[in-house]
Amino acid sequence: MFARAPARFVLHSVCASVRTQNFSHSACRNTVVVERWWQVPLSKEGSPPRLYSRRHRVYRFVEDTKHNMKDKMELLLTQTVPKLGGRGDTVFVKKSVGRNKLLAEGLAVYPSPENKEMFTEERRLLREGKKEDRIQTRTGQLTVEFLKKAAVEVGIPPDAQQQFLLTEEIVCRNFLRKLGVVVPPHALTLPDEPITRFGDFWCEVTVNGLDTVRVPLSVGPYVDPKKKQLMNLDAAAMETKAETDVE
Amino acid sequence: MPLHKYPPRLWEALKLQKGIYARLPQHYLKSLQDTSPPTPVHWKPLGVKYRANPKTGHRERVQDVPIPIYYPPESQDGLWGGEGWVCGYRYANNDKLSARVKKVWKPQLFKRELYSEILDQKFNITVTARTLDLIDAAYGFDFYILKTPKQDLNSKFGMDLKRAMLLRLARRDTQLYPDDPTRREKIYNKYKQFEVPADEAEWVGLSLEEAVEKQRLLEHKDPEPLYKSCVENLVKELAMQKLAEPQVVEKKD
Repeated sequence: MFARAPARFVLHSVCASVRTQNFSHSACRNTVVVERWWQVPLSKEGSPPRLYSRRHRVYRFVEDTKHNMKDKMELLLTQTVPKLGGRGDTVFVKKSVGRNKLLAEGLAVYPSPENKEMFTEERRLLREGKKEDRIQTRTGQLTVEFLKKAAVEVGIPPDAQQQFLLTEEIVCRNFLRKLGVVVPPHALTLPDEPITRFGDFWCEVTVNGLDTVRVPLSVGPYVDPKKKQLMNLDAAAMETKAETDVE
Repeated sequence: MPLHKYPPRLWEALKLQKGIYARLPQHYLKSLQDTSPPTPVHWKPLGVKYRANPKTGHRERVQDVPIPIYYPPESQDGLWGGEGWVCGYRYANNDKLSARVKKVWKPQLFKRELYSEILDQKFNITVTARTLDLIDAAYGFDFYILKTPKQDLNSKFGMDLKRAMLLRLARRDTQLYPDDPTRREKIYNKYKQFEVPADEAEWVGLSLEEAVEKQRLLEHKDPEPLYKSCVENLVKELAMQKLAEPQVVEKKD
C-alpha cells in the first residue's frame, strides 16, 4: 500500500505536465484509428511522401476509441453533494455525470491549477484562521453526528484489574478499535479525577477544535469478544423464554 | 508548348505579393503562411526517425505518412475536434486476397449546449466525443477555443468564436455582466494570457476572401465630385487676382 501511493502521485504529476504541454495529445474517445495495408515507399528527407498508388488508400481498421475502457473525470466540488463529498473535495466521477450534472449545475469546477490553489488556500484558512471564521467541515459534521450516538467501552485485562489508571492513550486506542474513529490525545478530555475503578464515566471529544461532544465511557473487565457474543445470545434467548412464559 | 513565366502551382502564392493582398496586415499574412500539420487524430504516428526492423532487427529509417482526411463543409459549422471522414478502401474479411471494398469512416456527432464565459452565451454546437474530452483537458470551453491552434480547431465557427472572444478581451467592454463589475474583472483576469491588441484580434480566423473584403472596405473612399476641386481652384484664383490688383487708396484732403 505504501509502495503504491507514491507511484500514483508520480502518474498524477506526469498527467498534469502532459496536460499543460499540449492537451491535444491527450487520450481521446470515439475516434476511429486506421492504418495502411501497404507500406508507402520512403521519400527523401524533407520531401513529402509519394502517395500515388491506389493501394495507399486501402486502410485497416485498428480501433474505435468509443469501445475502450471508459475512464473517469477529476473534478473539484464547490458544494456538498450527497454520496460524493463536500466543498473542496477532489472527486473522480463518470464523465456523463460530471458534464451533465456536476458542471452543468455548478456543483463542481475543473481541477485547474488556479482552482486547486484557491481551494487549498480556503482549506488552510479554515484550519488556521480565527476561531470565529472557522466552520465545521462536512466530514467533521458527520463525525459529530456519529459521536453523539456512540459509546465507548474500555476492557481492562485481568492481570491489571487490581490496580490501573486509565490514560488518554488507552481511551484513544479503544476509540480506534471499537468505533474506528481516530481521536488524537489532544482532542480528548477525560474527567478531572483519575479513573482507577470500574464504572461509567464521560469523556469529551473535540472535532477539528470546534465542536465538543460528550461520549459515555464505560470501564469494565475485559471479555473475550466471542464469549461476549455467546453471552448476548444467551441473554436474548432467556428474554424470549421469559416472555413466552409470561404469556 | 507555351511556358508560363511562373509555373501555375506558384500562382496562388504569388497572388499574395501584389494588389490588395500585399496591403493586408502583416500578422494576418503571417498566419496564412503557417502550415504546421494538425495533430494526428485518425492514425498513430511512429514518432521516431529510426527504428529496429521488427523482422530483421536492423536499423532503418521510417517516416510518418499522414492519412488524408476529408473535412466536409458541415465540419466548419461545428467543433469536430480535428475529426473528419476517412475515405478509402478496406479488404473484405480483413484479407488481402479478398475484394477491395470502398469504405468511409465517419465520426459520431452529438449536439451539445456549451456555455462560453467570455461571451456569456450558450451555443448549440455539433461536437464529437473527442471535442468534449479536449474541453475537459483544457479546463473549460473558453480555454479550449483560445488555446487550440487553427489547424487543430479546424472549424470556421470555432475561429469566429475565437475572434469574438479575443475582441472582447482586447476591448474589455462593459457589455459583459453590465451590473456585476467584479465578476467581469475576474473573467478578464482569468483569460489575461490570451490578450492581443484589438486591431490584431479583428483579423483572427478570417478567410482570405473575408480579409480582402475587410481591407477593401477599410481603404474605400467615396469618389469626390470634380466640381468641388474646380470650385476650390477657382476661389483660390480669384483671391489671388484680387490680391494682385493695385489697391486704389484715395488721398484724403
